[in-house]
Amino acid sequence: MNCNEMTELAPLYISGELESQSAAQFEAHLKGCGACRAEIEAQNGLDARLREALLAEEVDVSRVNRRVRGMIAADATEPIAPQVQRKSRRWVTAPLGIAAALVLLAAGYVLLPGRVARVYADAASDHRVEVVDQQPRRWVSDSAGIKALAEKQGIPGSVPVTLASGYRLERAKICWLDRRSFLHLVYSNGTGEFSLYLRTREGNLLPGAVRGIANGRLLHASSAGSENVSSFETPQLIAVVVTDQTADAAQRFAKAVSAAI
Amino acid sequence: MTARQDEFERVAIPHSKGLLRVARRIASDTASAEDLVQETLFRAWRNFDQFQSGTNVRAWLFRILFNAFYAQGRRVSAAPIVVSLDAPGRSAEPQSRSGLSLADAAEVTNALGELSAEHRTVLLLAVVEGFTCREMAETLSLPIGTVMSRLSRGRQALRERLASAAPRVWEARAGAGRAEKEVR
Repeated sequence: MNCNEMTELAPLYISGELESQSAAQFEAHLKGCGACRAEIEAQNGLDARLREALLAEEVDVSRVNRRVRGMIAADATEPIAPQVQRKSRRWVTAPLGIAAALVLLAAGYVLLPGRVARVYADAASDHRVEVVDQQPRRWVSDSAGIKALAEKQGIPGSVPVTLASGYRLERAKICWLDRRSFLHLVYSNGTGEFSLYLRTREGNLLPGAVRGIANGRLLHASSAGSENVSSFETPQLIAVVVTDQTADAAQRFAKAVSAAI
Repeated sequence: MTARQDEFERVAIPHSKGLLRVARRIASDTASAEDLVQETLFRAWRNFDQFQSGTNVRAWLFRILFNAFYAQGRRVSAAPIVVSLDAPGRSAEPQSRSGLSLADAAEVTNALGELSAEHRTVLLLAVVEGFTCREMAETLSLPIGTVMSRLSRGRQALRERLASAAPRVWEARAGAGRAEKEVR
């Protein structure tokens, strides 16, 4: 074994993965070669230092474990299979359905091209027409009027006026997505605008790949045309965020909304 | 609690600490790291049927973690999360429980944070979490040769950074490395 081979095999030697014959050759070389011996000692020393530094850190998993146990308990009591058979298909484009959404969830978190759940496709097109293209619509922009709209829609609590990301509620109206009425809220930070669609939840399972988690809620992601959609459920509500910005931006905004409602 | 939950609790949950330790070094902040681990474990739970008992659960969980991380296009943090070592109950003397001074530990973690994501990842898995090169190849879906060369280069890069940023930490180590070797 020469010094180059030693360098190449060092990671396997250090991890104890060299099989016995190679390990013996490796050690024989070490005995006779001061440079290689110093090198391996240095690497071991470095590893020890790194290990000590990181293992000394406090790692508190109590919050993560608690949240995971909560999600699992909820998931275990509400098995996936029966839901697939239930009449909850109105949220998804037939024949893809919830079963396929779950398969996609398992398979790689990408919705098949051309298959966008109706509620998201409608939300994307609504955002495009009413917010991006600014087609004339009758908006409500005073806080009392928005509150009245939310109450009319049966939205519990109050809708967030400001979000941590610097966005303010600008205007609202009622719109229809997949034949259902939603409260359409538009938030702006002066340069960008996001649409937030809210509706009371009726046991529906939101379609779309799971792209993240915010406050223990699964964030679903989808895209339609040039719009990106991020959605989540609370025990009372369905929230759908639409933007013509990136999918990451949609997710960040949804997280901010999730923290606020 | 169902039998499946019991099994998951026994097999997967104990790995949350290692997952979080690594997640904190690749995610941009503590909240994102916790979200990532939470997502990893929930995905694992949803796919727990596909996990074959007796196979390497840790490699499987870390694979889910990295898939989740990269699938979301999350950027690897440029700087490491600053984690306080000064937990309550520690002595006032700035000394970590391993005997490494806090300043030295910080030098090491800072140097680690400056490495490329590839180098940082293999170093974390190999050195801190105790993965073999084969396990890393499986976890990261990389050829073993790539893992080995990343590990060598990562060690080299970390050494160079420590040598220039904190020669004292590095000097102290040369002796410790030798001592450790003799014990074996």
